[in-house]
Amino acid sequence: MFFHIVLERNMQLHPRYFGRNLRDNLVSKLMKDVEGTCSGRHGFVVAITGIENIGKGLIRDGTGFVTFPVKYQCVVFRPFKGEILEAVVTMVNKMGFFAEAGPVQIFVSNHLIPDDMEFQSGDMPNYTTSDGSVKIQKDSEVRLKIIGTRVDATEIFCIGTIKDDFLGVINDPATA
Amino acid sequence: MSLVTDSPVHSSSSDDFAAFLDAELDSKSSDSSPNEEGAKGEFDSDSSDSSTNEEAENDSDTENQRIKRSRVEKLENLEDPKRSTSNGSLEQNLGASSSKDACIHPGSFGDMCILCGQKLNEETGVTFGYIHKGLRLGNDEIMRLRNTDVKNLLCHKKLYLVLDLDHTLLNSTQLMHMTLEEEYLKSQIDSLQDVSNGSLFMLDFMHMMTKLRPFVRTFLKEASQMFEMYIYTMGDRAYALEMAKLLDPRREYFNARVISRDDGTQRNQKGLDIVLGQESAVLILDDTETAWTKHKDNLILMERYHFFASSCHQFGFNCKSLSELKSDESDSDGALASVLKVLRKIHHMFFDELVDNLDGRDVRQVLKTVRKDVLKGCKIVFSRVFPTQFQAENHHLWKMAEQLGATCSRELDPSVTHVVSQKLGPRSLVGL
Repeated sequence: MFFHIVLERNMQLHPRYFGRNLRDNLVSKLMKDVEGTCSGRHGFVVAITGIENIGKGLIRDGTGFVTFPVKYQCVVFRPFKGEILEAVVTMVNKMGFFAEAGPVQIFVSNHLIPDDMEFQSGDMPNYTTSDGSVKIQKDSEVRLKIIGTRVDATEIFCIGTIKDDFLGVINDPATA
Repeated sequence: MSLVTDSPVHSSSSDDFAAFLDAELDSKSSDSSPNEEGAKGEFDSDSSDSSTNEEAENDSDTENQRIKRSRVEKLENLEDPKRSTSNGSLEQNLGASSSKDACIHPGSFGDMCILCGQKLNEETGVTFGYIHKGLRLGNDEIMRLRNTDVKNLLCHKKLYLVLDLDHTLLNSTQLMHMTLEEEYLKSQIDSLQDVSNGSLFMLDFMHMMTKLRPFVRTFLKEASQMFEMYIYTMGDRAYALEMAKLLDPRREYFNARVISRDDGTQRNQKGLDIVLGQESAVLILDDTETAWTKHKDNLILMERYHFFASSCHQFGFNCKSLSELKSDESDSDGALASVLKVLRKIHHMFFDELVDNLDGRDVRQVLKTVRKDVLKGCKIVFSRVFPTQFQAENHHLWKMAEQLGATCSRELDPSVTHVVSQKLGPRSLVGL
């Protein structure tokens, strides 16, 4: 789920960036450092939308670097256990399938795929129902439920299931 | 499907969506506006009652706090009756949670169980990093997958084939090891944009040149109809993936089944433990026997492909390499073509000639039978091959000849068909 929150960070700036463009340099350094990173508490920082406040800079003893406390607004993405998400399938194999919802990698094991769907190998591996009406293959869109998440510094991993009501394929790329 | 049954342990960890929402709504009681109020009221439709109408009208902070508290209480009240009125269902919930607690944890993805989502700390099972980063499967799950998959494949009349890269399907050399006589090759390289027809490639970013073995494309195409193929190389993952791109640009033969030395469980040894196929249905094509000490019965040894000079030097040959002689292995008559014939024969024997049940068949038995056909009917005498005091039957050449179907003897008699000798000398051949 996406959130729009205010975060704070202490940015260290080298004196070469001081001058007329101090604020711009600080903001661009912030964007470079923070956008695309992950944290356990907030999830994946998608984009910075604005700077709320830049505090007074404090010169560090001995190095000349200056530390500015910056408060900024940003859009974060964090999956939760129990959340329903839509994702795009990236890989299908005999163990289940991998799907992606933005920066989040989700794995749905074949234990959590409805029993009437069987794995078909081939050059386009897929899971199909016995009557062929529903097919999950690469680039299909599926609605799944998250049952576990793990966040590390750069990536978020999730385990998902489609074994409940209203979950499964939304859009078949073959017929789209 | 209610929130209660979904979270039998009412966890307050930030992982749980419902708990997180509760916490956030509670903490943000000071900053609210009528619009926000209305939205929150709609969202919390479970506890819809007259209080939501009041929220829209009132605007003061104290009022908001009172409403927030009542909303949270209402939610808890809703949950409480559900818990107290149906003790039976509570026991059912506990039962359900205990069966969930008894989850067998078949495997993990990013340290979480793939079935129940719990965080797992133990390191049992085998890592399948080549399929996807972070994937690990337990031994029971691997066995279960192998069983279902082999049944599936046998229905489609396919077996498994594990292919080595270096000296089997191709030959690579580092650019700095190329000799002067090989410089002409640099002008004959094929384009990396259209890989399907080329055989000589220069990979600048890896500082190497690769030559694909003649007949390899036809070989892969024909073999893919009889086998599900894996690449298993002792190179690193980056090298393995680049070679897979050259051999299989449309990802139709190998897909994600590219195993490198980073994925193996033992150093310097290849194993079938990370191949998701029953050992009784796997054939291996490799030029190095020492890498497969545990699976010698599945292995078909290939003649090495030495195209570049560095490859010849690596194995101690002082002759000129194929590239220096400006020639190559024969396309239709080379090692790959002959091994394809052998694979076809094995496949045919496995599926068409064996009488017993599909489950009981073992490709290793078939391989043994085919091997015995090679020197069938030959009787061999070895002369000057073994050291004088050596027990002849224990020598590996004797054993190899017997494996290939020949009978060996130490003495010459009229039934002998072949003599294997080291060199011609005055005392070697006696009265033939």
